Amino acid sequence: MPKKPSSTEPPIATPPAETVRAAVTVMLGLYFVGLALAVSGNSASGASALVRTIHTRLFSPWMTPPWLDLGYEMKLTYGLPDDADHRIEVRRQRSPATARPLVLPADGMWGERARRWRRLARAAVIAEQDPDREALLPAAIGAGLFDDVGGDDLAIRILRDVRPDRAEVAAAGETPLRSEQAYAARVRRVDGELQLIKNEPQEELAPVIREPAP
Amino acid sequence: MSWLHFMEIPDRIGLWWIPGSGTAEVASLRPRRPHARRASADPFAFAGGFAGREGEHSIADAIGATWNRYWFTPAEAWQLAIVRILAGCLALALWWSYFNDLEAWFGPAGIISRELLSGWRSPWAVSLFDLVSAPASLRAAWFVGAIVLAMLTAGLATPVVSVLAAILFSSLLHRGPMLAGPADDVVAVMLWCLAIGRSGDALSVDRLLAARAGRPAPSPTVRTRVALGLLQVHAAVIATVAAVAQLKGDVWWDGTAAWWLATRSGSRVVDLTGLLAQSEYLTNLVTHAIPLWELLFAAGIWFVPLRRLLIPAALVAWPLIGIIAGEPAWGLALAALSTAFLRLTGRVG
Repeated sequence: MPKKPSSTEPPIATPPAETVRAAVTVMLGLYFVGLALAVSGNSASGASALVRTIHTRLFSPWMTPPWLDLGYEMKLTYGLPDDADHRIEVRRQRSPATARPLVLPADGMWGERARRWRRLARAAVIAEQDPDREALLPAAIGAGLFDDVGGDDLAIRILRDVRPDRAEVAAAGETPLRSEQAYAARVRRVDGELQLIKNEPQEELAPVIREPAP
Repeated sequence: MSWLHFMEIPDRIGLWWIPGSGTAEVASLRPRRPHARRASADPFAFAGGFAGREGEHSIADAIGATWNRYWFTPAEAWQLAIVRILAGCLALALWWSYFNDLEAWFGPAGIISRELLSGWRSPWAVSLFDLVSAPASLRAAWFVGAIVLAMLTAGLATPVVSVLAAILFSSLLHRGPMLAGPADDVVAVMLWCLAIGRSGDALSVDRLLAARAGRPAPSPTVRTRVALGLLQVHAAVIATVAAVAQLKGDVWWDGTAAWWLATRSGSRVVDLTGLLAQSEYLTNLVTHAIPLWELLFAAGIWFVPLRRLLIPAALVAWPLIGIIAGEPAWGLALAALSTAFLRLTGRVG
């Protein structure tokens, strides 16, 4: 006599019908085209006009909201200054040189929280090369830190590690920690209006040309 | 038919599914070549051979058979449940990293205002966190997200919270795109894949409650198989793209990349500069090993003999690369993603 199945046995799974498989196949195919275009369209190397157009017009509208329109380009490092660790340093504009600035990430911060502050600092420096985004983030950082620093006139610096050469460290026996200034600006609020005055390195300033007096 | 006995069936389906036949019954999927049964018991083993490879069917049929086997063999939930637990833990850790600075970043006088975002993110980006800015509501939204992620990890109300978790996580990333890192990208993909599959059918509070109520163990599902397939494809794509991105840089060819990674004093988890400074060859070896591993993983994971070695290796190699790169969460996320390739069978619940 055949054994009667118990009530706790799982129901038998049936493979999907042909139409379901066809529909799922179309959706998967569409997604994989989108994935390929997202990877190639978000590449740091740039994308062709064809890829860019198809990607932005047909795929970005539905791949961006779920955070799937990504390049996944994890280069880790190219050994460039931009790849070094960045940090934000803020102080009141006329504070004495001995006053301790607010540094972000602060000493006590670690892990992913500190990494997010470093990404913010790095994004501010990289955005300086983009005319549409230039100065936006440093101004926002300044405005967001007025209360924390206690003033409406702040000096902001974004510092990055100067990375030592391997041979230099091998010779010295220790790793020197040095920083360089990647960006500096004065951010102030005057009559409710936010102003940013970028500190240009002197060599980048154009000479002042004065009209001869009549 | 016992549960364990049934679990052998999907592998056979995978091997002998005839596309276009219009039949989707288990009984119709009988073996065509008995020796193929020994060749592979794996729904995504290209090395296992497929129906008609020796001229019995066209190449198109063979490709269709492989495709069907890969995507439509019902899969049990163990693998996806493991991914769910790992992804949930990682998502919670990443979610936690926002907590202390919520107001500083997204508050009414925060750094990342909505005006700033309008010039920063894609016009298609949307975030539920755009709707809240008051400190109390920001914290409330954050706590809701943390509870949802905790429920996902535990497997409580999984069908609902898996979708909510993906929506909330991507919302938070869109609220501050300049704060997001590579680990966030990988975890977001994992959460969306979990939203597709039935990850709560195993190793979950849901399953425990169902078993106590006397409900039968759920059967393998195609939804779970599709979710696992998507996770596997993403694991390979991410590894490939990472390797290609790295190989565009000179430091990955001249062997110094590992040194530059080690000198990031803030990001690094362990200080390897002393060790690497002593040996140029060691620096070169570590540098070359990273893209080599990524390419080996991306290609080799699809071949059965290699996969058996690569899965346990991935659980060690990805976290190690994460530590060397100063992105430990990224390494852990990729290790978690690699668990989608595990082959587990057994009673669910």
